[in-house]
Amino acid sequence: MKNRFSMERYSRVLILLLFIVALTIIRPKNFPTVNNISNVLWSISVVGILVSGSIFVMLLGGIDLSVGSLMGLSAVITVIMIRNSDYSNTGVILGVSLALLTGIAAGALHGFIVMTFHVPAFLVTFATQSIYLGISMVLTNNKILSCLGPKMFTDIGLGRIGPFTFPIYFMLIIALISYFVLNRTVLGRHIYAVGGNPDAAKISGISVRKITMLSYITSGLTAAIGGIVLASMTQQGMASTGSGYDTEVITAAVIGGVSLAGGAGTIQGAIVGAMLVGLLNNGMNLMNVPSTNQGLVKGLVIICAVALDIMQKNEKKIRLPFAKRKS
Amino acid sequence: MSQEIILEARKINKSFSGVQVLSNVDLDIRRGEVHALMGENGAGKSTLIKIITGAYTKDSGAVLWKGQEVEIGSLKDCQALGMACIYQELSVIPALSVAQNIYLGREPKRGKTGLIDYRKMNREAQELIDKYEFPLQATDTVDSLGIGLRQLVEILKGLSCNSELLIMDEPTASLSGKEASILFNIIGTLKNQGVSIIYISHRLEEVYRLSDRLTILRDGKNAAVLEKEEIVPKEVIQTMIGKVVDESAGSKKTLTRNTNEAVLKVEGLTRKGFFEDVSFEVRKGEIVGFGGLIGAGRTEVMRCLYGEDRYQSGKIYIEGKEYVPTSTRKSIELGFGFVPEDRRGQGFIPLLSVNRNTALTNYDIISRTVGAISSKEELDMCRKIIEKIDIRPADPEKQVGLMSGGNQQKVVIGKWLLRDLKILIVDEPTAGIDVGAKDEIYHILEELAASGVLVIVVSSDLQELVRISHRILVMRKGKIVKELAEGVVTQADILEAASGIEDEEVVAV
Amino acid sequence: MNKNTIRKLVSAGLLLILIVVFTVSSDYFLTPGNFMEILRDASVVGIIGVGVTMVILTAGIDLSTGSTMALVGMTMANIYRYTMLPIWSMVLAGILAGILAGIFNGFIVTKLSLPEFIATLSTMNIFRALTYIISIKQNGLITSQALKARSFVALGKSVGGIYYVILVFLLLAVIGQIVLKYTRYGTNLYAVGSNMKAAKLSGINTDRTRLLAYTITGGCAGVAAVFMTARLQSTTALLGSGMEFNVIAAVVVGGCSLAGGRGDIIGTLIGAVFMATLDNGIYKFQINTAYQLIIKGVIIICVVAFDSWYNNFMDEASRNKKRKGAGA
Repeated sequence: MKNRFSMERYSRVLILLLFIVALTIIRPKNFPTVNNISNVLWSISVVGILVSGSIFVMLLGGIDLSVGSLMGLSAVITVIMIRNSDYSNTGVILGVSLALLTGIAAGALHGFIVMTFHVPAFLVTFATQSIYLGISMVLTNNKILSCLGPKMFTDIGLGRIGPFTFPIYFMLIIALISYFVLNRTVLGRHIYAVGGNPDAAKISGISVRKITMLSYITSGLTAAIGGIVLASMTQQGMASTGSGYDTEVITAAVIGGVSLAGGAGTIQGAIVGAMLVGLLNNGMNLMNVPSTNQGLVKGLVIICAVALDIMQKNEKKIRLPFAKRKS
Repeated sequence: MSQEIILEARKINKSFSGVQVLSNVDLDIRRGEVHALMGENGAGKSTLIKIITGAYTKDSGAVLWKGQEVEIGSLKDCQALGMACIYQELSVIPALSVAQNIYLGREPKRGKTGLIDYRKMNREAQELIDKYEFPLQATDTVDSLGIGLRQLVEILKGLSCNSELLIMDEPTASLSGKEASILFNIIGTLKNQGVSIIYISHRLEEVYRLSDRLTILRDGKNAAVLEKEEIVPKEVIQTMIGKVVDESAGSKKTLTRNTNEAVLKVEGLTRKGFFEDVSFEVRKGEIVGFGGLIGAGRTEVMRCLYGEDRYQSGKIYIEGKEYVPTSTRKSIELGFGFVPEDRRGQGFIPLLSVNRNTALTNYDIISRTVGAISSKEELDMCRKIIEKIDIRPADPEKQVGLMSGGNQQKVVIGKWLLRDLKILIVDEPTAGIDVGAKDEIYHILEELAASGVLVIVVSSDLQELVRISHRILVMRKGKIVKELAEGVVTQADILEAASGIEDEEVVAV
Repeated sequence: MNKNTIRKLVSAGLLLILIVVFTVSSDYFLTPGNFMEILRDASVVGIIGVGVTMVILTAGIDLSTGSTMALVGMTMANIYRYTMLPIWSMVLAGILAGILAGIFNGFIVTKLSLPEFIATLSTMNIFRALTYIISIKQNGLITSQALKARSFVALGKSVGGIYYVILVFLLLAVIGQIVLKYTRYGTNLYAVGSNMKAAKLSGINTDRTRLLAYTITGGCAGVAAVFMTARLQSTTALLGSGMEFNVIAAVVVGGCSLAGGRGDIIGTLIGAVFMATLDNGIYKFQINTAYQLIIKGVIIICVVAFDSWYNNFMDEASRNKKRKGAGA
């Protein structure tokens, strides 16, 4: 059992390496360049930040489709606050805090609705996605708001320590926190328990409501962070900034072995998944696949990953009664 | 009853991935008889039925319908022959009407249009309902009906295809005493009309009462076929289990009143619609059994006591102090343990390891540094539990979903054992568990009681109640109707109280 | 009274309130011309809604209908531009493309047993990307494609003041309602959504039932795309984006339960008119269109929350009634 799991994890890293080797061979002039690699890392970092929070929700068997538009809202709020306070550092602090609070509030709203009305999470976040996009459009009057300073703001996305930009470090820190919470804390244990069997968790004295709320809040928070980082990277605030990121996050998670039924999956897997998504996007760009057409590949990848996951589970299920008889 | 044999299964063999589940099993059903099929869990009853109804294919052997060998591949084939199966898990569709459910998949059509002829369908359904005097309307939507009535819809479905053979798998499992006695009357009527019935039930008393003949399976083999006059309860049990049953452990036992101080006292507990004015006390060192039919309100009382559900009135005292259970967490901290009725649904987390499951209730006593759980302590704890109650395999990393029912139940119980436990509530502790593991679980409960933990056992298994309880409370229709605390107590005593005096014929063996 | 009937009256009541509010606040709202406008918009949503209702009855969902529309539009544009085929065969090919898209959805959901929302979320991306791939480029740029054949454009017109699309919608709605209520297939849809296991035990081919529901939805999206492009006299790769949202909102407002087994086409019809009225009113008031997104999102959440409360309430009520009955 244990061997099988580590084999699975191993195979994902293997695919990742194969991908890198393949891209290096196919595009030796474009892929292994400093510029391109830092580009790839850039996009990996954003998806990595997002998936570190969204995984909480997915482990509960929920899903957050509002990640993309929540990123947009957070980016817009940050930029507007900075512009309204004359590009001062206080503006940055205010903007960032307000954006983070918005993310937390949005997450709390999702958790509340899901718990109180027992509505499927995808529908709730499908609806709020539209609400957040609408709010961002109202706030920006549907224009792109550029924001080239102050340095404190642009550094968030573009500053460097050593060879890497800040977002990479953000991703690492957030993923590490996420790893710690999921693997070493009571909260993490409870999340896996609630995701695996909410009724049993409840009987064992776990507050399912609290765990659900916290998970959605985490997802909202990382979406807000992702939005801020993206705003800084692109130096602008736009309602549609994050569009498409919800799919990227789901892709990363399911490639990374997170089960959409809840209860199974690891943050390490999800980060590897984010890397694969980043490389996949980069690979397609290098092969001159127009961005409008990339959805085809991504859609197929999600279908395959989820189908494989389900097939594996069914296989286990079928084996179950016979394993029982033997013992 | 004629001697004509309507269905015969000859030398049926079936194995799953090399494990022989049925070997040379015979079964013959006469016209107009109620034929009980008995055996312990895993004896092969349901496999045999699934082969007869075409859900599984047999490895060898033959199924004969009125003397002709038939190949049954699907439920449609069954219906065509005149055979219907009433499933244990309800297979009615809540969104549809009673009539729609009865005729699902073979709705009468109007002329050439291909549209469903509702008038005809409702009329025929109502005629059928009236024929058996069921308290139903053909146009009722099923989701407005209670569980018992839904079961009747299920039976109507079977009757509507002019079935000559009905297979009933645990038909009374979710019925109240009254509903069950209606069902028994119906079975009598059907019998008189020449319909044969294969009756599968764990409720021995029903089987004795209803059946004309009895086939017993043990370990996938025929253990006995008995005529009505040969059916002797004690021998049936012996044949099923295959070993001599100690009388004191099985059907009766002499109890003496425990006179220790009462630690838990419940007074006038009421949850409207579920139970009313429930009062009882549990004394130190006692195992108190709660008997009654399913739906009598036992589980609901326990859930309220544990803080999972809310009650409207009444008081609970623990060690003299009033306790108001507002959350399960609070109850756990006070020293409650709870083993739920629905093991797979509420007992454990199948994807997680034994270790993670046993630790689930114990994070308040596992030490932490800066929020990080000590994994070593978690593991040590699990090993202790595994050793204490002999969970097999003794592997803390084993996924609980892949273990056998008995060991899963041990994990569910195990997560309470390292706590400072005061009260352990166990609901249907051994449902669906093999005999060996059953004994081990009784042993665990007895040890706990001996060490001073109050143990409350809710069980529908009469033998189990008599076997382990020191005192038995029987509930009926949301009320405690009887306390059995002193003298000789038999299964029949419990059953009598549980099903009510007015339904006396139910208990007659 | 039946609880489903009450639920439908609630939707109708909401619609009435909306109409009254808009009528009181604007002179232009309640004119025959505007009324036709609303029905025309409602019809496109409603046509797809007929299929989506069936899918949701089986406890499924289809997020790909908007992209399917785009794919259908672009398929027709290609045929129009590169072949000499008659217009009717172009239309048929378009609808066929929709049906194929639906079959693909159904295949993933039933044969690969993917959760419905993730399957159709993926195909939403896939169909949109396919549309881009087959879209006609000029100087490397994707442009909107004219579809100006006279007989085709006529489909966007009206007869006796009533647009064809409205007639087609009503026709499909009537057929859909008959299928749901008076055919075995309809009963099977309710059965599958209400209790899949029991449906299987009753000998219903659940996979085929679901597959067909997705196929019908694809076909409906195809028909909707035909009328939409006929009206616009062109198509773009962005055709129908956001449409899935409107359709689901309409179906949900109409009282279909996402848990399956509850709802019908009459409800969806009310829901579609409700959504179209809302859009129309917002437009007439010249409110920033961004508010449309917010309002629709809030409406979906409110309706779903209401349904959850309402169903609990009704179940509780019927349980109490039964208990009293049993106690007597």
